[in-house]
Amino acid sequence: MTPLLQITNLHASIEDREILKGIDLSVNAGEVHAIMGPNGSGKSTLASVLAGREDYTVTEGSVLFNGKELMELSPEERSREGLFLAFQYPVEIPGVSTANFVKTAVNESRKHRGQEPLEPAAFLSLMRERMALVEMDPSFLQRSLNEGFSGGEKKRNEIFQMAMLDPVLAVLDETDSGLDIDALRIVASGVNALRRADNATIVITHYQRLLDHIVPDFVHVLWNGRIVKSGDKSLALELEQRGYDWLKQESAVEA
Amino acid sequence: MSTHPLVELAQRLVPAHVVDGTLDSSDGRLDALRREGLREFVRMGIPTTRHEEWKYTNLFPFIGLDYTYVPVRWSEGAPTADARTTMTEVASALGRHISIRIVDGVVEADLKHVPVGVEVLELTSEIVESNQDVARTLGSGAPIGSHPFAALNTALLESGILIRLRSGVKCELPIHVSVETTANASTLIAPRMLIIAEEGAEADIIHSSHTSGDATVLDATVVEASVAPSAHIRYYKIADDSDASRSISSVTADVHRDATFTSHALSIGGRFVRNDLAIRLCEPSSQGFLYGVSLLSHNEYTDNHTVVDHMVPHCHSEELYKGIYDGSSTGVFNGKIYVRPQAQKTTAYQSNHTLLLSSKAQVQAKPQLEIWADDVKCSHGATMGQVDEEAIFYFRSRGIDEATAKALLTYAFVSEVAEKISLAGLRELVMRRIARRLSAESILA
Ligand SMILES: Nc1ncnc2c1ncn2[C@@H]1O[C@H](COP(=O)(O)OP(=O)(O)O)[C@@H](O)[C@H]1O
Ligand SMILES: [Mg+2]
Repeated sequence: MTPLLQITNLHASIEDREILKGIDLSVNAGEVHAIMGPNGSGKSTLASVLAGREDYTVTEGSVLFNGKELMELSPEERSREGLFLAFQYPVEIPGVSTANFVKTAVNESRKHRGQEPLEPAAFLSLMRERMALVEMDPSFLQRSLNEGFSGGEKKRNEIFQMAMLDPVLAVLDETDSGLDIDALRIVASGVNALRRADNATIVITHYQRLLDHIVPDFVHVLWNGRIVKSGDKSLALELEQRGYDWLKQESAVEA
Repeated sequence: MSTHPLVELAQRLVPAHVVDGTLDSSDGRLDALRREGLREFVRMGIPTTRHEEWKYTNLFPFIGLDYTYVPVRWSEGAPTADARTTMTEVASALGRHISIRIVDGVVEADLKHVPVGVEVLELTSEIVESNQDVARTLGSGAPIGSHPFAALNTALLESGILIRLRSGVKCELPIHVSVETTANASTLIAPRMLIIAEEGAEADIIHSSHTSGDATVLDATVVEASVAPSAHIRYYKIADDSDASRSISSVTADVHRDATFTSHALSIGGRFVRNDLAIRLCEPSSQGFLYGVSLLSHNEYTDNHTVVDHMVPHCHSEELYKGIYDGSSTGVFNGKIYVRPQAQKTTAYQSNHTLLLSSKAQVQAKPQLEIWADDVKCSHGATMGQVDEEAIFYFRSRGIDEATAKALLTYAFVSEVAEKISLAGLRELVMRRIARRLSAESILA
């Protein structure tokens, strides 16, 4: 089986500073991968490079997504091809309603697939249904996107958008940060409800607690721009107990 | 110093009996006004950028052209010339309305649906002589002594449009005055409009200008409004011109007790637009609302000079202008607020916000608050910025391309002032133009 995502020796820098120093990762359909690692290790950078943020320069390596070279696609094309990034810090957009934003996004990817735009009524009921997945009140639809939303509401809104766009590969960047335990459960159950045999999820977190709810098939530890250890979900538990320092020492010895 | 060609043209166009003011019976109020207009225009001449009020308004590239003057004249019957301009888009945005077209100078007024108490008349010498209110108002607002083009317009004033709303009349249908000009040679037009709203009257008046053809159209428009107690006038000045137009206008309104004058300056097309708007709040509890949207690209220029004069206590004014400047366009905003010493309990708010869509676009913004009363609430604010790159990336990561993202963000930027446009069709027209300008018409679906 060809992997859904195949990252090979990925190097990326910002302002001449190398942040990703050779990442290898392959993700198959149906899998959940967790990427863990201390602050500053490059997790968000990896997510941003996958999504196509132009501040980063990819200096080496390749990323195949569904057999296509991701680095040759614009951010919007990546999205239309089925890649979704849930932002660690979703942007507040005053004056653009959540409904209008989501409608535009969904219709862009429908157009990409040669489909007609959804009828307004069908669209509204779809939005209501998907909002229910993350227990979001429909009143959010008329509010400006993320403006004045609490941390938890922003994260739920990200998962709502994911539910609307129905991606092949979702990358969730610290979706658990700033969530209380109830919100965490809601967000996680939303993500779980969207899991299918033909899609995959990469969960970026530095706490184990999200992984109690979204159970990963693989856990990778990113440190200093490299994946220094991979394992199954028990690795996350081990990290929870022992912290990251033992790994830093291990990889320092290897290096 | 030799006389400027435009001054010479004005001198040629004003008949000798008007200039000399011979005391025959024809020398009425209108002729006296014209004489004053000519005198002031000759005295002031063409302003240069050394003049503080015209600092950024460079008239030099077009003001010396060899203009042919096309006067306004009322037609018997309907010549129905089709000017093939953007007028129809504005007209259809208004839905059912009262239409007054000035097509290459010829006035065609469709007055079948004009309700009782709404008068649309030709502004003539006879009308001025026989109507005290007209005689009193005409020329009382226009800054003939300080604005050279208001003076020019007045010098050439032979015919114009009078809209009079009788006491208590609320005109349900918007009144649309469109000035459409198709020029094959450099053309000067000087439309004049007088709006008299009697006590308690109410109307939406849309005044749009449209040009087509390659030759330059210099448009020196003057509008004067008198808003009697408890009357409400919403006036929309739409510049929807082509590259050929050079529009310089003066709009003034005198607002009386409990009355409001709301102005929307919508510049959605046109190479060169200079709007001077002055609102005088002359009786207590009068209110002025000044809104503006300037959507510019290429080398377009729009300059809004506004004045709100708080002459008496307890008046309120609110001003909000938004400019979206793309290409190498330039936007100018100059907002004066005067609060006279006796005008206690004034509230006056002004803000001007700019969104620059290109690094070559420019803005000049200057608030000028002159406050001589102490018990007042006044504020002004101005911002200037580009579209937020973080926001653009957020859109793109959701499959929305950059042009559409920019259009949506621009919409968002404009919506605060667009929402003030009470005519839904016009509001949609503005939004449609934004989408079209930013090549993102898909967002209108
Ligand atoms: N825009 C940027 N400019 C400069 N340095 C950056 C930028 N973004 C991230 N970095 C640096 O890259 C490293 C990795 O950051 P990041 O990917 O955000 O880590 P993580 O998400 O694992 O906490 C950090 O040292 C951070 O300071
Ligand atoms: Mg991070």
